[in-house]
Parts: sequence; structure tokens; C-alpha cells
Amino acid sequence: MRLFRDSPTEEADVRPTLLGVVTLLFLLLFFLLSTSSGQRLGVIDLRLAAPGQAPPLPHSGVLKAVRLAVGPQAVAIEFEVSTTDISASAESRELRRIEVPAREGRLDAVALAAALDTIHAIDPSQLAAEVHPDDEVTTATLLDVLDAVRGPTAAPLFPKVSLR
Amino acid sequence: MKRSLFRRRAEPAGVGLDVGALAPMVDMMVLLLVFLLRTYSTDLAPAPEEGPFELAGTTADADRRGGVELLVSSEGVHVNGHRVAAWEYIEGEGVIEPLYATLLQVRPKVRAEVHADASVPWKRLQRVLQTAEAAGVEEIALVGVWRGGM
Repeated sequence: MRLFRDSPTEEADVRPTLLGVVTLLFLLLFFLLSTSSGQRLGVIDLRLAAPGQAPPLPHSGVLKAVRLAVGPQAVAIEFEVSTTDISASAESRELRRIEVPAREGRLDAVALAAALDTIHAIDPSQLAAEVHPDDEVTTATLLDVLDAVRGPTAAPLFPKVSLR
Repeated sequence: MKRSLFRRRAEPAGVGLDVGALAPMVDMMVLLLVFLLRTYSTDLAPAPEEGPFELAGTTADADRRGGVELLVSSEGVHVNGHRVAAWEYIEGEGVIEPLYATLLQVRPKVRAEVHADASVPWKRLQRVLQTAEAAGVEEIALVGVWRGGM
């Protein structure tokens, strides 16, 4: 003999609960759309060199300095690398230059990022770079260059950018 | 005797409000909410009262931290929403006098956020930044429209 009788149980109706969730989500959506804007802002902290300020001390690694001359037609990247030749002295450096020309009148951000990636691979401990924009360079181009120099947030290239 | 034109069918209770149909709807709403929370912002970009103004795009995702609001348009310079100088009347090189005088009176001015129009040349932007530094602003940040992905 069974102690408990099997009584037929009805399945609980989940539809009112789900409808409640949907209503709540609708209200949240409405609230978000009415209180926010589709334009999100991003901020870049600037390091400005004061007039007459001496350049920073050279980096101790292989990549001594990275400078970008930003013009309306091209970005010229100049970087100093310690000469690793056996006959070279500790002070001897080699100045290398990569020029990234504009593409269809606009900065070629992909080529610039690739060039900076290559330079960063020489000495990943170098985190500083100097940007020297030309007088006629627009803010849009300048921000593109700063973004490329800083690199993605997950894998930064030269996050210590100074404008000169 | 009245006869209805359409025969009523005996419908089972709950037809049209199936649980299987509601679940994807909830999923979609959650996805929409996540998208909106990730891409939308309550921080509205300032803009001058007149004239064209468009912020440049950036992939920097750092949020605004407040401070003096400097707006540089193709027509002039605004401090905290008030126009202080027009490029048409700004002469010479170096520090912009009306902007310098205004910034000297602003308190606190530890930090300034510069909202510059995408078309403003570096020659002008540099003068604004130099003036802010000369007036004692310690931290300066450039603001753009975030164009990063999800």
C-alpha cells in the first residue's frame, strides 16, 4: 500500500511571469531611450610639452625615441635604435624612418598602425612617443593619429603620447 | 433566428500567447538592453548655439571626468557654454587673451576637457591648449565621439 496518494497536479502557468518580465524590459528600454543619447564620448588625456621644455631622457632599451611628424599628406615616423653591431659603441644609434602617405586625401590609419606595430615589436618596453602635428592638420586627423599611436586598449603600443 | 456568418471555432485556451513564443522575445529585449547600455550614454556632447559643429571620432573609451568645458568650433572658443572669443577677432600668436582672462576666473580648474570640431586645424587647437596651460589648468583632455565596437 502506498503512503501518499498520487494526485493529478496542474502545471504552473509561466505566461504571466514572462509577460511581467517583458513589460519590465519594455519600461527599461523606454527609460534608457528617453534619458540617453546614441553619441558616446571618449576621452584622451594629453601630455603637452611646455615651450622650451627639454626632451625626456632617452629610454634605456633598444628603441631610444619615437617621433611622428604629422602632415596633411603623410605621417613620417622617425625612430632611433641602438646599434647592436659588435663594433658599435654604447652611444651609437641609427635613425630610421618610415613614411605613411595619405590615401585618397585621408590618413591611412591601417598602414600607420601596422608601421607602429612593427616599431613596437623592436622594443616593447618603450611606451613613449612624440607627436608633432603640422599647423594645418585637423583635429580629426590628430585624433586618428593619437588612437593609432596609443594602440588598442587591450594591447597598447605607445600609451605615453606627448604633443609638441 | 440569428445566424452568425462566421462559425466560431472552439479554440484551446492560451492560443497566441505561447511560452515558446515569449522566450525569444525576452531574449531579444535583453540583447537590445545590453546593446543600448553599451553604446548609449547619458553624457550629452556639448555644441555651440550656432554654426556647424561635429566632434572627431576616437577609439579611446575612457569616460569623461568633468572639469572646465572648452569648446573649440570653427567660429570661436566657448568656456562652459559661454562664447569668449571668435577666431575672426583673435589676432597674433600664442595665448588667446580673452580665453586666458576667462580661464583665470574659473574655479576649480584642475582639469579641462576640450571638445574640438573635427575640422579645426592644429594651429588653432594648439593655441587653446597653450592658453589653458598658461591659465593654470593642470590636466587637459581631448574629447571625441567614441567609435569603438561592442
